[in-house]
Amino acid sequence: MTRDYANPEEFGLADLLCCAASREVQDNEIVFAGTGLPMVAIMLAQKTHAPNLKLIFEAGTLDGRPPEIPTSVGDARCEMGASRASGLYDAFSIAQRGYVDLGFLGGAEVDEYGNVNTTCIGDYLDPELRLTGSGGNPDINSFARRTVFIMVHEKRRFTPNVSYITSPGWRVKKWPGGEFVHRKELYGAAFRGGPSAVISTAGVFRFDAETGRIYLDTCHPGKSPEEIREMCHFDLDISRVSGETLPPTREELHLIHEVLDPEQIFIPKVKKG
Amino acid sequence: MSNSKRITLQQAAEIIKDGSSLTFSGFTIWRRPFAIVYELIRQGRKGLHLIEVNGGPQTEFLVGAGCVDIWESCWVGHELYGKYGANLSRKVGKKEILVEDYSHAEMLFRFAAAASGAPYAVTQTSLGTDIHNPAYDTLGRAGLRDGKRFPKQKYVFTDDPFFGAGPQVLVPAAKVDVAVMCVQQVGEEGTVRVAGQYYSDPEAARAADITIVMAEEVVPEEYLRRESDRNTITSFEVDYILECPFGAHPTGMFGRYDVDGAFLKDFYAKTRTQEGFDAFAKEWIFGHDHMSYLDKLGWPRMMNLRANTALNYSTGVKRGQ
Repeated sequence: MTRDYANPEEFGLADLLCCAASREVQDNEIVFAGTGLPMVAIMLAQKTHAPNLKLIFEAGTLDGRPPEIPTSVGDARCEMGASRASGLYDAFSIAQRGYVDLGFLGGAEVDEYGNVNTTCIGDYLDPELRLTGSGGNPDINSFARRTVFIMVHEKRRFTPNVSYITSPGWRVKKWPGGEFVHRKELYGAAFRGGPSAVISTAGVFRFDAETGRIYLDTCHPGKSPEEIREMCHFDLDISRVSGETLPPTREELHLIHEVLDPEQIFIPKVKKG
Repeated sequence: MSNSKRITLQQAAEIIKDGSSLTFSGFTIWRRPFAIVYELIRQGRKGLHLIEVNGGPQTEFLVGAGCVDIWESCWVGHELYGKYGANLSRKVGKKEILVEDYSHAEMLFRFAAAASGAPYAVTQTSLGTDIHNPAYDTLGRAGLRDGKRFPKQKYVFTDDPFFGAGPQVLVPAAKVDVAVMCVQQVGEEGTVRVAGQYYSDPEAARAADITIVMAEEVVPEEYLRRESDRNTITSFEVDYILECPFGAHPTGMFGRYDVDGAFLKDFYAKTRTQEGFDAFAKEWIFGHDHMSYLDKLGWPRMMNLRANTALNYSTGVKRGQ
């Protein structure tokens, strides 16, 4: 199948991230959506290669097919077209029961084992900045088979030590002592998987199946592996780079801007000049 | 009998005493009981302990106004209209508030436990995170864990004793004094009908000792009982009711009105500092009652927020850039 890829001047970084995120979804999967760009990405997958995916909104909409993009997961736009609209008890019970294949999440900081922080910058007991807190980030990350993080790429955010582990990666702390162990050891029968990718504004990163350590998979157009390694405080493995992140297709761009997010709530249009 | 649960906005706020523990209906920026939140601020309530499945603008207003000593939850912000809770963040920095962090699912399961009369819930979420770090037990560090108002422990780690499924975490029931709900319809006897996602409202109402329901409209019980399968909360779980149109503004209500994103953006932009918050409160809260607040917002603004009755959301609001 030949695909009609767009030229670099036809799309913006948000388009690229949205399409990269969309391509993480496989057909027939049950996907947990957070507010923001992931909602557009999942609905894009629903309209392209994954027409049978099932969408769950954390606030309580199950198997949703919203006719208009919701602004947040509690939005009145979530309900129409869904199998059920109920509440958080259903959403989280279904997730803990093991139905969820994939979740999209965000974060302020990530370490090389996929531990993510959304709670505070600096010492938790005396923080430089208190952030939003966990929300459902650790829950979706604990329950889903795969999770994909979408993040702004700044060097300070890709750090060997996050200020606070809000959401569990592949090596996590075993309490009460706090020593690091592999996630499998801690989750027992509830182990289903963990972070599978980080899509940053620089590239797409994945995690080694054995060690759970992060490596660079693809570079966004215009970025070299060495450049991206320089953008991390930890020693990024760039030995497994598979190429460049695929650009959006013209069909995807049409769907994003004319069908899914014409109001430019999450994804701005590239100004043609 | 029929009017026995009816109270006024002022009375609703008076039921919530200094030092009460409190929870709300809704989800982030939807269906928050704002008219009562504003009235609590006007009445100068102090020492509140908020226990919320998730926070939102209501948290930010109460925290900014200095009404809250303890916030126990997982998230605060304004979704698209404000990245994080700037008032909570400021008070955390100045150590003027105690924050106890749980995960979202943990908070939900804590309410579900309280709602079913169980002392705790069991879950497998958030294992290995700093949410479970014993050094970060804020209420314990403050010496508040008396086993009465506050659970003796933040968590208990255990192993599945029945099926050998491995590590589990026990989280204490979320016992709260008062739940304040904001819904579309309540009957004269207290039956609640929520339209759209009901979020964690059934658990919140059942977990609390006292449940106050503020509705867009009080309707005849008989009307709700014609189709009882559509109702969300049982009459006798509700202690007090009141009618208050647009009571959730600036948050939204399914089928009635949208989130006032411009108002939340403005609040977020202007209340990074305490002076900013005080000025905002002076403009929008103090010296107003609910009707003069609506008057200040004005008809054009409210008409624009009003939901299309076929779609259940507004087609007039500008959401994007």
